[in-house]
Amino acid sequence: MRHFGWKQWTALAALALVLSITGLFAVRTVRRAIYWRMHRDEVIRPWMSIPYVAHSYRVPPHVLYDSLNLFHPPHDRRPIKEIAKEQNRSVEEVTAILQSAIARERREHPPNGPPAPETSP
Amino acid sequence: MSLTDQLLAALSLYGLPLLFGVIAIAAAGVPLPVTLTLVATGSFVELGEMKLWQVILVASAAAIIGDQIGYLIGRWGGHRVADRLRKRKKGAAGIAQAQAFAKRWGGAGIFFSRWLVTPLGPWLNLTSGMTGYSWHRFFMWDVLGETLWVVLYVLLGKIFSGRVQALLDILGNLAWVLIGLIAALILGWWFVRSLQPAATAPNQKSISKTVT
Repeated sequence: MRHFGWKQWTALAALALVLSITGLFAVRTVRRAIYWRMHRDEVIRPWMSIPYVAHSYRVPPHVLYDSLNLFHPPHDRRPIKEIAKEQNRSVEEVTAILQSAIARERREHPPNGPPAPETSP
Repeated sequence: MSLTDQLLAALSLYGLPLLFGVIAIAAAGVPLPVTLTLVATGSFVELGEMKLWQVILVASAAAIIGDQIGYLIGRWGGHRVADRLRKRKKGAAGIAQAQAFAKRWGGAGIFFSRWLVTPLGPWLNLTSGMTGYSWHRFFMWDVLGETLWVVLYVLLGKIFSGRVQALLDILGNLAWVLIGLIAALILGWWFVRSLQPAATAPNQKSISKTVT
């Protein structure tokens, strides 16, 4: 058995510390990756477009357009902050309207239930 | 609204031209949240708002052009600094060392700083230019690394579409894992080396044997 000096012991202790912290981060990375692979529901931010929010919350886009009394244009890239400005509303107000529309849609058509009939034109 | 929100809102509205501008400016050394931009672009691709091949082409071209700007700044601006340093004895030796390092590690350094340790990218562009690293080699490694970077992050954004912020959080964690692994490698190497004091002196072989 080799006798370690203080330098070796310090290096070993530092190595153990670094490896355990790295292990913790690795576990956290994998767990979050698995969780977010299955889930979406990203917090609504001002940069997001209506199709993006609809995609993240897995609701048909027309539900969100209807809640804001908006026409559903193809390839709509306007971010929420732009829509809020057009409607003379605050971003928070628009976000709240979208959140309640999502909640209502999920109550009426639970994500795990039978597929909702297509109502958009 | 934060800079990030402004940037992503503009990306959503203006698409490819904005993507090109942001990535080229960032590659030349201005700190902008480019990883986030690429990941969000991946989401827009999944939504059908942008085309994958166009995004990869435009983003890679922007990054490569930005890097060449950094390299040129290093080459033309850096030469003046280097010439001044060369007039001193120590300065000349330092430059010679940096050039030797760039020749030995330049390719790998350029490649990995494009997609793995991206914060180093703009610095390596400058130093590659300054140390007179071959432009043909720089360009080749740059094209390979930047294309890999763009494809990697856009595809990640596509796979994790609608979860841009969550993905960034995951990537942040992953960066710490990588830093930890590098630190562990350095510590491990240092530890192994400290166990072999006799390795450089063959006469002491028998002494180390009696110790074990």
